Amino acid sequence: MTGSLHDFLGGALTLSFLLAGVYFLRFWRKTGHRLFMSFAFAFWLLALNQLLILVFGISDERTAYVYLLRVLGFLIILVAVIRANLSSRPEDRPPF
Amino acid sequence: MDLFKVVLYSVSALTCLACMVLLVRQYLRHRVRLLLWTALCFGGLTLNNALVFFDLVLCPSCDLRIARLVASLAGMLFLLYGFIWDAES
Repeated sequence: MTGSLHDFLGGALTLSFLLAGVYFLRFWRKTGHRLFMSFAFAFWLLALNQLLILVFGISDERTAYVYLLRVLGFLIILVAVIRANLSSRPEDRPPF
Repeated sequence: MDLFKVVLYSVSALTCLACMVLLVRQYLRHRVRLLLWTALCFGGLTLNNALVFFDLVLCPSCDLRIARLVASLAGMLFLLYGFIWDAES
């Protein structure tokens, strides 16, 4: 039961990361703001991270290396938000 | 390997927390609802990362996989809700 629930939630989470990435890609196409492209790429990295965790299994030592994808994703978002707030170029400024 | 794991999970949690703080600040400044939903999303992801650290570093005998997944999923549902209802505005 727990294993099935874990797989169900993991799959739902992977799909939600992918969907969020698609939405951010759509915002990028609509507005041209690079912040959205960075967010899209980062969320797709999170989706890949979650998928690989499900594939390798939590007890696999390689799972720790897979977490590097998650760290990279969050770093991309962090850098994108900071750049957006510091930049003077219109395509880099946050759209709000 | 253990030090690598501690550093990895710590950096993951801290960067996620930093993202959340920045997004909350942006929301308080601009009052754009999509920023609120995104900040709440990162709140869920930060909670997930904190639980990962606790689960895999502080209490390896614990099994918080379901709680971790629920925290992340709750965060993502906030974001998707915001996309569907508030993105056009």
